[in-house]
Amino acid sequence: MSREHERERNVDIGRIGVTLALLFAAFYFLLPILWVLFASTKSPGDLFATGGLWFSDEPQFIYNLQRLFSESNGIFGAWVLNSLLYSGVGALVATVLSVACGYGIARYRFFGKEAFFGAILGGVLVPATVIALPLYFLLNTVNLTGTYWSVLLPSMVSPFGVYLARIHSGAIPEEVIEAARLDGAGEVRIFSTIATRMMVPAIVTIFLFQFVTIWNNYLLPLVMLNDTSKFPITLGLTLWNSQTQRDPYFYTLVVVGSAVSAFVLIGIMVSLQRFWKAGMTAGATKG
Amino acid sequence: MKRIFPAITTMAIVALALSGCSSGAGGSASASAGSDDGGVTELTFQSWVPNVDKAVDLFNASHPNIHVTLETITAGPDGGYATMFSAVKAGNAADVAQVGYDWLPDFVRNDAVEDITQYVSGEIDKFVDWQVSAMTFNDAIYGIPQASSPLGLYYRSDVFKKAGITKAPETWDEFYADAKLIRKLGKDNYIAAFAYNQTPWLIGLSEQAGAKWFTAGSDSWTVSINDDATMKVADYWQKLIDEDLVKVEADMSNEWYKDIQNGNVASWISGSWGDAIIRGNAPKTSGNWSVSYMPQWTAGESATGTWGGGSANVVLKGTKHAAEASEFALWLNSNAESVSTLVSIGAGWPAIEDTSAITSLTNDPDVFSFYNDQNIWKVFAESDANVQNDWRWPPLVSTLYSTLIDNVKSSIDNSTGLSNAFDETQTGMIDALTQAGVATTTN
Amino acid sequence: MSTTIPIERLTSRRKTRQRRRSGPIGAILLFTVPFALMFLAFYVAPIIYAMVQSTFAQKSSGLGLGALQEVFVFFDNYVRALSTPSFIASLGRLFLFCIIEVPLMVITATILALLLEAGKAVWPRAFRVIFFMPYGVPGVIATLLWGFLYVPSTSPVLQGLAAIGIDITPLQPNSVLFAIANISLWVYAGYNMIILTAALNSIPSELYEAAKIDGAGEWKTIFLIKLPLIRPSIVLVTLFTIIGTLQLFVEPLVLSPLTTAISSDFTPNMAAYNQAFAQGNSNLAAAMAVIVAILAFIMSFGFLRIVNKKGSEAW
Repeated sequence: MSREHERERNVDIGRIGVTLALLFAAFYFLLPILWVLFASTKSPGDLFATGGLWFSDEPQFIYNLQRLFSESNGIFGAWVLNSLLYSGVGALVATVLSVACGYGIARYRFFGKEAFFGAILGGVLVPATVIALPLYFLLNTVNLTGTYWSVLLPSMVSPFGVYLARIHSGAIPEEVIEAARLDGAGEVRIFSTIATRMMVPAIVTIFLFQFVTIWNNYLLPLVMLNDTSKFPITLGLTLWNSQTQRDPYFYTLVVVGSAVSAFVLIGIMVSLQRFWKAGMTAGATKG
Repeated sequence: MKRIFPAITTMAIVALALSGCSSGAGGSASASAGSDDGGVTELTFQSWVPNVDKAVDLFNASHPNIHVTLETITAGPDGGYATMFSAVKAGNAADVAQVGYDWLPDFVRNDAVEDITQYVSGEIDKFVDWQVSAMTFNDAIYGIPQASSPLGLYYRSDVFKKAGITKAPETWDEFYADAKLIRKLGKDNYIAAFAYNQTPWLIGLSEQAGAKWFTAGSDSWTVSINDDATMKVADYWQKLIDEDLVKVEADMSNEWYKDIQNGNVASWISGSWGDAIIRGNAPKTSGNWSVSYMPQWTAGESATGTWGGGSANVVLKGTKHAAEASEFALWLNSNAESVSTLVSIGAGWPAIEDTSAITSLTNDPDVFSFYNDQNIWKVFAESDANVQNDWRWPPLVSTLYSTLIDNVKSSIDNSTGLSNAFDETQTGMIDALTQAGVATTTN
Repeated sequence: MSTTIPIERLTSRRKTRQRRRSGPIGAILLFTVPFALMFLAFYVAPIIYAMVQSTFAQKSSGLGLGALQEVFVFFDNYVRALSTPSFIASLGRLFLFCIIEVPLMVITATILALLLEAGKAVWPRAFRVIFFMPYGVPGVIATLLWGFLYVPSTSPVLQGLAAIGIDITPLQPNSVLFAIANISLWVYAGYNMIILTAALNSIPSELYEAAKIDGAGEWKTIFLIKLPLIRPSIVLVTLFTIIGTLQLFVEPLVLSPLTTAISSDFTPNMAAYNQAFAQGNSNLAAAMAVIVAILAFIMSFGFLRIVNKKGSEAW
């Protein structure tokens, strides 16, 4: 047998091994998602009585979905919209603020810059439990608790975004900026037209990171909001979960609601994946 | 890259549009200030009881001068109480709120509830004595009882029959003997679950045995969480655990629901609201269930306990409409039509003394047919009538709950014995009370 | 290679580019002040408030049914937290969890990234999407789902394993940390994998050519070229994971009703939450939270110190 052949065989074995390993990993990552898909077609009784990875004898997905969106006058729909509102607006403003700040820190020298940056980095490390309650009392002094603003405003701050933005702004070649200056462009113009365009991947990364962070946030809305019509999905589903002790149908609603909310966000993430990934490339390696 | 901008812009537009619609509608969160447009008093009511809006609607329809807005909130122990405390402290609380009997002392301690004696003293006699005592501190009334949770024994009559048991256990000795018989049915068959996650259940069992964990003296609490009655209960269940006669399992968990369906766990000591859970989760077991009075320590007695007492409506501190708020709480929980509604939505056992007008308690075919045409409410009526009115809930009840659960869990994991868990809880609770400046003594 | 290590800026100012000019005040203010104001209002102010709060206590007297009084107690809450055995135990548990979770996460993410990047996989795009999907599932919901899969009577996986004679009960005291680690792994491994694949993709292909000419095999290429070159990204992933694990909260909170192995103060964050939201002692909670924050600072900066020292010549 020639050497060439042998190498080809090795390659084939390698290919099969890699594919098998990936298939195994895929099964692992899909398992809970498959489970929730099947579970969302079941009645509360069947949820516990039938096998987890197949349908029950009487699938009722459509009925469950109808109940999900009609329960308490369609409040689930409001929760989805609220989550989109908090995450969308919060992440948008957070991105603008942190990109500008990171850029300012990277491109200019000013007094106390490193101390300022150090404090911001410290912010990444502060646990949410430290901030939530004190924030309630502070926001209450300006009568904001219980409003959309009480969740939106704190979500608009992303210290991690400043960190990423600083690194990326630093990577913009000095010559490009200087050339723009010689052309007579002002600092704000340079930032808003030239710099941001070069930083698009980083900007997308910051936006999506903050979007997911807000989407997953549980403690802040729990502390701030009373009115269920302003709840985001996470809080709403937890509310229903606590009601399973009165009416078991809520168990099914929680499962179907989880499936729907997971797929809304997965849909958003996957459709933006190419930009997300591009952002990561730059995010982690460019200094 | 060019496709990002449309994507982000679309999101932004959607989001802004949403914020536009909503900021108009939802400017201020809590309406405790209330507007008095045209003489109508606006009240907000916070509750997590599902479908309680039906009873609220009845009130609104019959009271043109008061309009109550319901805010469905997270269940109290899951964060609802914390939000109420913060809101009271911040001065923007709702007017009326749902509070468990067990938590009321903490509300009084935090100065978060109004003394409503002057508004309700004329009608408070409509309610069952022991529940009124649970509302009363220093001779002042701080809430209107809504529903209580007297305990009863739900059991699978088919499984019991299969094990050769012909009648429900009347004493704990019989329960123990029946446990052995049921255990023989198969490797997965148990008479009951030992619900290490449920302090109200553990407390209810102790209460039934005659435990009095907290006694209010003139200026200090007598704490006796490890009194003889409790130790009797602890040793009894420890024996069942040691002999593998009960399944150590959290109740109302996934696993437990399944066991209730397939009969692997054949009984459950619970409140009247337990009916909704069993019927909802195990509809296919219809006709196989019965309810009996709790097993007794001494044959022939009728001692009973409650699941966390019950649930009340209180008027939160800082309301500008204490009189109207009290009127609402009183009406919601004593008007026959409203109480019927509360019963049908599963709020619990009605707190009013005279339940003769509540038709769903005597004639409820949907419920009774599930229990082989047994009128299960008779059991709970008798149980409720026998609740002792000297059980007292202490301040820092959540410390009691989390300490007890933690200690029970660790006694199971480390096989140190349930009695040890109650000893540790006694020490822990006294520590916590002392730290908080509450005076305690022990027996 | 155009990589300056981003992390470096956390600890050292060595390479700050001094040639940047001192810019126009107006622009600097415009860029930094909006964020600074928001940061002050929503991060700094609450932290200061929490620190102040942690030096007070609510005291009642007698039966504890009269109104509460707020008393200044200096560091009593800190002393109390640090002298509570279960709180110390929760710190130890968290440390143990870190030791389990961090290597598990970093190694899994690296292996997945290497597998996907090897160019041998069929449908790499599909796999990438599947691995990444769980990142879109909120922690509360992910834990609810795994909760079903961890209980023998509702879990198809455990039932399948039991059928072939393997009995696993993930929520037992000695395995519960792994059960929790698995949930975090499931949610974040794909996210971290993306960071690492991105780094791998940016390695210039000439390096591989050169390695091939030198006769280096697959494994050699991995250990001598790929891993050293993506080291900055591995450091970043490790740091994220450390910060994430120190804030461990939602997963054990949601699992706790299902098992005897998780107490109400299983992790320091749970203890703080329990004090603030269940027990109404926000003063003690504030003290506990401040302790967690301080520990997070020490561990993150400590980690960076170690990697910077050890690896400085490699960069």
